[in-house]
Amino acid sequence: MSKEREIEIITRNLGVTFKDDQDKDVVALTNVNLEICKGEFIALLGPSGCGKTTLLRCMADLQKPTEGDVHIQGMTPKEVRLQQKFGFVFQQPVLFDWRTVKKNIELPMEIMGRSKGERSDRADEMLEMVGLKEFANHYPKQLSGGMQQRANIARAFGLDPDILFMDEPFSALDEFTKEKLHEDLLRIWRATNKTILFVTHNIQEGVFLSDRICVLSPHPGRLSAIVDIDIERPRSLEVKDSVHFTELVAKVRNSFEGGSIA
Amino acid sequence: MIRKLDKITNKKWFSSLLWVLLLVIAWEVGAYVVAGAKRTPENILPHLWQIIGAAATGKKVAGGMTALQAVFDSARATLFRALLGFFFGAVSGFAFALLMKLSGVVEKLLFPYLMLIQLIPVLGIAPIILAITGDINVSRVVIAAILSFYPVATNTLAGFKAVEKEKYDLMHICAAKTRMIYTKVLIPSAIPYFFTGLKIAAPMAVTASILVDTLQGDGGLGCLLSQSLKHAMSIYVFWLIVFFSAFIGIIVSKVIGWIEYSVSPWRRC
Repeated sequence: MSKEREIEIITRNLGVTFKDDQDKDVVALTNVNLEICKGEFIALLGPSGCGKTTLLRCMADLQKPTEGDVHIQGMTPKEVRLQQKFGFVFQQPVLFDWRTVKKNIELPMEIMGRSKGERSDRADEMLEMVGLKEFANHYPKQLSGGMQQRANIARAFGLDPDILFMDEPFSALDEFTKEKLHEDLLRIWRATNKTILFVTHNIQEGVFLSDRICVLSPHPGRLSAIVDIDIERPRSLEVKDSVHFTELVAKVRNSFEGGSIA
Repeated sequence: MIRKLDKITNKKWFSSLLWVLLLVIAWEVGAYVVAGAKRTPENILPHLWQIIGAAATGKKVAGGMTALQAVFDSARATLFRALLGFFFGAVSGFAFALLMKLSGVVEKLLFPYLMLIQLIPVLGIAPIILAITGDINVSRVVIAAILSFYPVATNTLAGFKAVEKEKYDLMHICAAKTRMIYTKVLIPSAIPYFFTGLKIAAPMAVTASILVDTLQGDGGLGCLLSQSLKHAMSIYVFWLIVFFSAFIGIIVSKVIGWIEYSVSPWRRC
């Protein structure tokens, strides 16, 4: 299904090498060649140390690659970032204690210089979308972890970015909250048609959410396989009980190089 | 019954009351012991009622003023200087913290030497400041400012440095300008630290002001204090000043706490 779509992100021979304490070269990522289509949901999956976060950060212009390059919409990541077309959701909610939930969502829009009325309307819309309408005037400390992460997602979507980067956004949450947020994320993604790059170390999560899974293997970090997830959309939680789902999980698991994920 | 007792002992005021009570008992026991050993106990540890009595009498002790009037009159001068110094110290402390955050070079040049300010005894720098400013009252303000400066500067800088990497990353993703990062993230983050600095600095400004008062005449709690110690007037004035300064210290930190509370609604929940 991705064939007829416009390609949005291309990485060519992407690699990152850094020096450790003893001044020795450590290859975090090497030779990543990837093409991502507009509106695609991509999971970057792998064990810790496989460079999945590094890959994400290179695409989001939070890190400079030492080899190869990234092109997004025909531009460098920096150019795209400066046009404020990125959204980023971290593992931790990274909310600002002194701002209410609504004001937190408005922050990126404040930085972009949007008008007060526009900010407020847009924030209300986002709050509604993530189901936090009643908590608009609460402070982050008053929310549960799941609710904080919802606020975080609402903030990332608030800017209406073309590309959303998510770095293990649900890994700190309990299973029930996580499943609820998976469904919500898919609903929001369908409604907004963003390109999403989702880093995870959880195979089930990757299979349930994405169109394609980029499997990364460690030592050195590299792209070892790309698995198409041809489960029909919209997906509901029942999908996880199907044989096909289990087969896909097994297929992904078997595509890791250098043994199983610890 | 026990549960009721538990409830009372868990109250905030209970521990304060207990402390005051214990202090009064310890004080009075001490006063009786001292009174038994010395002929002039009021020099060392008078009874509390003697001090309270000295505050209450209308007896003139100095320049036609009662003990309490004399203390309040001197306190006005001292506290005004302390407040002025505290204000300048806090403002410049914040400004320097900002400067050190803005420029790594400035931080490397300044930060290790800032501690020196804290190490030099007040009575050591006082004559130098006096020589520079040429005016005793100006030097008193400057000294209060110097002592307030350090805790405010270091705490505020610690606040700037406590901002997590993810917050910078988020600002980077939003393509925020440096000015935005400061106004939207760094400065609000540092505010609680700034207030911690203020709470440490305020009592220091007051004690320093009293101390530098003693250097020269011209009014102030410190002058009154040394006169009283030299028996130029009732020794109880000394004790009144001690209690009054402690009281001011408590009030000042309460007021700062209250200001912090009212400017940071998120801390109330």
